[in-house]
Amino acid sequence: MKGYHDIVGDGGSRILDQVAEQRAQIADGLAGVRHLVAIGSGKGGVGKSTLTLHLAGALRAHGLRIAILDADFNGPSQARMGGVQEALFVPGTKKVALPRTRDGIGVFSVGSMIPETAALEFESASQGEAQTWRATKEFSLLGEILRSFEWGQLDLLMFDLPPGAERTVQYADYLGPATSFVLVTIPSEVSRGVVARSVAALSKGPNRILGYVENMSGYYCRDCNGIKPLFDAPEPSQLAIPCLGTVPFDPELARRCDQGTPFAELPDTPVRRALDRVAQQLLETLS
Amino acid sequence: MKLQTVAPPDRGSLSIVYSCPACGYEMAMLTNAYETQAVQSLGVKIGPASSEVGGKCPFPGIVPASDEVKPGQAAESIPVRWTAAAEARLSNIPSFVRPMAKTGIERFAQERGATEVDEKILDEAKEFFGM
Repeated sequence: MKGYHDIVGDGGSRILDQVAEQRAQIADGLAGVRHLVAIGSGKGGVGKSTLTLHLAGALRAHGLRIAILDADFNGPSQARMGGVQEALFVPGTKKVALPRTRDGIGVFSVGSMIPETAALEFESASQGEAQTWRATKEFSLLGEILRSFEWGQLDLLMFDLPPGAERTVQYADYLGPATSFVLVTIPSEVSRGVVARSVAALSKGPNRILGYVENMSGYYCRDCNGIKPLFDAPEPSQLAIPCLGTVPFDPELARRCDQGTPFAELPDTPVRRALDRVAQQLLETLS
Repeated sequence: MKLQTVAPPDRGSLSIVYSCPACGYEMAMLTNAYETQAVQSLGVKIGPASSEVGGKCPFPGIVPASDEVKPGQAAESIPVRWTAAAEARLSNIPSFVRPMAKTGIERFAQERGATEVDEKILDEAKEFFGM
């Protein structure tokens, strides 16, 4: 019996070939997608997921074919907000059908399969030491999702990224230069600082940064039908990338998000109109 | 497979030899935990293709273990059969979420009085969820 050091190459596993085949399958599966757009920030809690879904809804309302891949595997929220928490992953003859929101947006989110009370766990050959391999497992899962699901013909595939400036760059590396980025900030110096760091990190690579959106830019007061300040930071965000627009916070919108209400069913408010303007700006920047 | 021998570590590698009780064909697992984890994380299958084994033995390579039934799960599993064609389609689902997807589809079938998941049930599920 040969020992470990007697084996030449990978013992017939063709690991490099398999990885190359996986990448080719991903490219093939995304061949019908016109634009790949990742919504990131670096900062957590700035409303990336909410903004992703609402921009998708606004673009869908204009007749575009949209899908969202919830890449925040450890804190998935698109399943609940998109109303596909109970949806099944149903396999077709070649690919897996994508669950759809009521307004027809395709949504992949592990939140459709894993209850909110359960943590995401990956099987491991080595017990403990998760910090050494967890990122690899997550990107392996991302690859499996990209090549397994039926993305079909899309105008836009949006990636809802997890927080972390370094994660944003890792996704840029993995998704490749064809993926453009939109960064989300809020009117706080802390958030702007973190997002500026993400801009600096992304700028070193080939990915295009379309611009940023300032979320929670004031809040919408239903009583006076006006926008009031939310943060003590009156100066507009100054980031070295284009501003795609500002979106005020709306408690009612947050409530409807929790219920999975589609964008098309939202009332006509200054917040909805702001989202629509950002969506239009995004589309113009892409084209 | 039957555990045959476990050789002492050799420069960081452990050799675990399994043999087939029927034909005596032997297969060794040569590993250390970190290498195994790194390779497993890539989501690739380890070992030569079954055709390269030359038909000597019925266990071709090692497949990812995520579909395996864990101890205590078997007795609780829903008694729904899968046709070969439906089972083949199930393998299209990413291995990480496959067990949950399988359970969900079985529940969908049971709610419709079916005791078997076939391609018709899968197509019904697709239609039901507007896919």
